[in-house]
Amino acid sequence: MSRAGYDEILAEVKKLLARFGKSREEIDEDAELVNDLELDSLLVMELVQEVEDMFDISFPLNDLSGIHTLKDFVLQIQKEIGA
Amino acid sequence: MNEMKKTPTDNTIALRKGDFQNLAEALDYAAGGVTGINFYSGKGDLAAAVPYAQLRSMALSLARRLLGLGLPKGGRIALIADTNADFVRFFFACQYAGLVPVPLPAAVHLGGRQAYVDNLRKLVHASGAQAAMSSSSFFPFLSEAVAGLDLNHVGEPGYFDALPETDLPLQIPGSEDVAYLQYTSGSTRFPRGVVITQKVVMANLAGIIRHGLSVRPGDRCTSWLPFYHDMGLVGFLIAPMASQLSTDYLSTRDFAMRPRLWPALISKNRGTISYSPSFGYALCARRIRPTEIDQYDLSSWRIAGTGAEPIRPDILEQFARLLAPAGFTSRAFVASYGMAECTLAISFAPLDQGITIDRIDAEALTEEGIAVAVDGTARCGQAKELVFCGPALPGHEIEIRDDQGRALPERHCGVLHVRGPSVMTGYLGNPEATREVLSPEGWLNTGDLAYLADNQVVITGRVKDMIIINGRNIWPQDLEFLAEQMPGIRARDAAAFSISGSGDEETVVLVVQCRQLDETEREQLVEVLRGRVREEFGIDCRVELVPPHTLPQTSSGKISRTIARTDFLRRNQDLSQSPMKCAGENRT
Repeated sequence: MSRAGYDEILAEVKKLLARFGKSREEIDEDAELVNDLELDSLLVMELVQEVEDMFDISFPLNDLSGIHTLKDFVLQIQKEIGA
Repeated sequence: MNEMKKTPTDNTIALRKGDFQNLAEALDYAAGGVTGINFYSGKGDLAAAVPYAQLRSMALSLARRLLGLGLPKGGRIALIADTNADFVRFFFACQYAGLVPVPLPAAVHLGGRQAYVDNLRKLVHASGAQAAMSSSSFFPFLSEAVAGLDLNHVGEPGYFDALPETDLPLQIPGSEDVAYLQYTSGSTRFPRGVVITQKVVMANLAGIIRHGLSVRPGDRCTSWLPFYHDMGLVGFLIAPMASQLSTDYLSTRDFAMRPRLWPALISKNRGTISYSPSFGYALCARRIRPTEIDQYDLSSWRIAGTGAEPIRPDILEQFARLLAPAGFTSRAFVASYGMAECTLAISFAPLDQGITIDRIDAEALTEEGIAVAVDGTARCGQAKELVFCGPALPGHEIEIRDDQGRALPERHCGVLHVRGPSVMTGYLGNPEATREVLSPEGWLNTGDLAYLADNQVVITGRVKDMIIINGRNIWPQDLEFLAEQMPGIRARDAAAFSISGSGDEETVVLVVQCRQLDETEREQLVEVLRGRVREEFGIDCRVELVPPHTLPQTSSGKISRTIARTDFLRRNQDLSQSPMKCAGENRT
C-alpha cells in the first residue's frame, strides 16, 4: 500500500473525529483512540460505521480489539480496502 | 438461485404458551410448525433462516455427536454467545445431550483484547466447563483464554460437527436438572453463575408468555439483545421458541453501529414484540434520519418493552414522538422488572397502557423513605417521577423489607424481596454468595430499592452500589480494583460510584487516594487509569485524586461508597455544567 493511500485515509478519519468533537488541533498518529481521544464504546461503533460507509468496507469487528492508536486504525482500514 | 425466505409469522400448529416440562420438549413441539429464527446482516439482509423443525434436527444430530465426548450428565459446555445460528444450535443440542450450556460474552472493546481474554478465562474456569465452543470470529480469543485450563474439547462448530454421530440414547433432562448457567450478574473478578433448572425456566417462561406479553397468534419478535444476557437469551431466544413465534435477530454489534436497522427490520417484517433498555431507544432516536421516518411502518409494534436499567420516561417519550409519524404508539411501551437470579422476569406493567408515572415528593422519599404522591402542581424540584413496573407475575410474591428485615406497607421504600417458582437455585459452587441473597424460605434479596403502590413495583434505586451504564451492570469493585493496580495505590484507596451526568448519561466517578505530589505524575495517573477503564469497560469515567484518609470508612473498615459519593458531590458542586471534565484537568 502506498503512503499516499495511508495519508488520504488518515485525513478522512481525522475529519470524522473532528465531527465527533474528538479532535485536537494537532492530532498525532500515535494518539490512542481510547486513552487520548476518549472514545467510549458507542462512539467507537459510530466511528466504525462511518468508516465502513465511507470506504465501502466491512470491518471485522474483532480486529478492533487489537487497535490502540490512530495509526493502527488507519492501517487496518488500508488493509481492508486492499483485501 | 433460490432466494432465502424468512420464516413466516403465521404458524400451522396451535399456539402453546410455554406449558412444557423442559426446553427439549418445547422445541419438539415448535418443530411441528413452520416458524423459526432469522438472522440479519449489518446491511439488513437476511443471512440465515432456521425453522424450528430444522433447528431441532440439527440440534439432535449435534447432541448425538456431543454424547460421544463422554462428558458426565450435567457436564458444562462454554459457548461464546455470538448472535448466530451456531450458538442456538449448540444451546439446544445441550438440552438433548444432558449437558449444561454456559453462554459467555461475545463483546470486545477497542483495544480491549487482553481484558476480554482474561474475563473469558475467569468465566470458563469458574463455570467448570469441560468443553468450549466459539464461532470463528471469537475463536482466537477463546483459544487464548483456555490455554492451560483443563479442557479436553475446544473448537469452532466444525470441530464438534466432525465428531462421529453416536447411537447413545439422548439424555432428556428432568425438571430438577440444570437448563443453563447465566453469568449476567456478578463482577468480572468474582463471576457468579446463576443456576437455572428446567422447572425454573419453564415457570418463568409461562409467566412471560401468558401474562407478561400475552402472546397471541400473529406475534413476531425482533431482537438485537445479546444472547449472553438474560433478556436476550430468555426473553428473545427461549421465550419465542417456547411459544412457537418467529424471531428476527440483528447482532448487538450491528445494532450499536447502525441502530436504524432495528426499526427498519420491525417495519419490514411487521414485528410485534421487541425490547430494549432505555439507552437503546435513545441511541436509535439519536441516529435516526428524519427523512427515513416516513419509510417506516411501526404500527405492528404492540409491545415495546423496556427494563434492565433505570427506565427513563423522557427518553421513551422522545422516541415515541419521533416515530409517531411512522405509526409508533407510546401505548406500546411496557415497563418491566426482573433479573437473571429470577430467570428473567419478575413483573410487567399492564399492556396497552404505555409508561405510567408515579409523581412523588422527592424530599419525603429521601428523608423518610416514603413515596407520597403529589399532584401535578408541585414544583419540579420537589417532585420525582418514577415508573410503575406492574404487579408480580402470578405465583410470585413480593415483599418490601426494611433493613431489619421487616415487611413494609405500601408506599414505604425498602429492599425488594421476591419468592416464587422462577427464582434460581443459587450461584454455582458458591454457597456463601448464595446464602447472602437467598433465604432458606426461598426469598431472593434482589438488592433493589423499591416500594409497592397499587400492588405495582416501583424501583427507586439499588442497595448494592451497582453502576448501570448502557444497560450493562458494572461492579464498583471491578473499577476500584483497576485503580488499586496502579503504582502507589493500595487496597481501599479507591471508591467508584455513578452520578447523573448532563443529558441522558450516568457518569462513572472514581475517587482515588493518592500520595503522589508531583503534578505531572498525578496527571499521568489520571489518564492511565481512565484509559484502563475504557479498555476494560468501554466507558468514560471521571477520576478525582484526593489525599490519603479522605475516603469515608464504615465501622467495619470498608469504604462507604454512598458517603464517598455525597462527599464528592459536595466537593464538586460545579459539575453539572461539564460532568466529564476530570478533576486532574481542572487544575491546569
